[in-house]
Amino acid sequence: MVKHKSVVCFVVFILTFSGFIDTCFAADKAAADEALTDAENDLASAFVAVEDAEQVGANTSEMLAKLKFAGNLLADAYNAHRLGDYDNACSYAMNCSDSVNRIASEAAGLKLEAEKAYSERLFETAAVSSAGLSVLLILSLFGWRFLKRRHFKRILGMKPEVGKTG
Amino acid sequence: MNFGDFKLFYILSYLGLGLIILSPTLAIVIKLPGGERFSELWLLGPSHMAEDYPFNVLENEVYKVYLGIGNRMGDLGYFKVYVKFRNQTESLPDAFNGTPSALGSLLEYCVFLSDSETWEKEISFSFEEVSFEGNVCKISKLVINGYVLNIDKAAVWDEENHGFYCQLFFESWLYNTTVSTFRFQNRFVGIWLNMTGNV
Repeated sequence: MVKHKSVVCFVVFILTFSGFIDTCFAADKAAADEALTDAENDLASAFVAVEDAEQVGANTSEMLAKLKFAGNLLADAYNAHRLGDYDNACSYAMNCSDSVNRIASEAAGLKLEAEKAYSERLFETAAVSSAGLSVLLILSLFGWRFLKRRHFKRILGMKPEVGKTG
Repeated sequence: MNFGDFKLFYILSYLGLGLIILSPTLAIVIKLPGGERFSELWLLGPSHMAEDYPFNVLENEVYKVYLGIGNRMGDLGYFKVYVKFRNQTESLPDAFNGTPSALGSLLEYCVFLSDSETWEKEISFSFEEVSFEGNVCKISKLVINGYVLNIDKAAVWDEENHGFYCQLFFESWLYNTTVSTFRFQNRFVGIWLNMTGNV
């Protein structure tokens, strides 16, 4: 009796949760359309986030690989949809959304890191350049004084030449 | 060299050295414009060369071409390639006005490319259920990379060029982040196909 109860519970559990595992089971056109629109928007948002991160110098190669994978899924989803295979279209579209759902936040994190690294690098380089410029300014002022003094000394030390008139 | 010239030379030397010292900072701050930005779309024959393209095609024979995209936009690009098929009377993209063909796409590919990266895809295609009735050739199915597509196209006999001509072509679209949609890039490639019957 206990064994029977366990089996029934197990079957009920499987039947209940299988619905959550694949919500696109026997999808119709409307569901597939909605899933495609969501996937398209998710992928576009992820792309924009990755592009932003790349523009500030973040290393986006890992995320680009994910985008490519998701892009293939979205293309498969559209192609299945065109053939009237709404189940697969929905499934591919949902997989596409799942595969990019963390990209935007990851890219935003990378972008912040890259911006911080950029600011630090800029600050360090600007500090070194400023120090270099200051040293150059001081040296050149001293150098100018030295050269000027030497020049005048040379001029004052010159003897006037007496020319002969014919 | 008089004193005035020497003074000028000294100041210019100071400025030159100053610029050299500042150059690492300037290199970080100043973004120089890159070269010309463009994208590429190409179609190669079965031998991976721009030759031996399929032309006279038979029912149930498999033909192969290679489709490629190159990104030289200086940035990450999100491309879509739409595969379309037309007979001689249907619309092609308008290169002059930069508008795509009005035909619906049969298939599409989503491609992400970083700058200077290329993508290539083998496109295998064949025709199924082709019939000839008088001066009309009816094509029911086109199979591209395993996708069986119901196209139901009719190609009328071309008196001038002696054939039943159709065109398989590919349009490249690029995602525009400003307007958040794909825009036709005025890039398309295609091959003419002459439908022939088994003798």
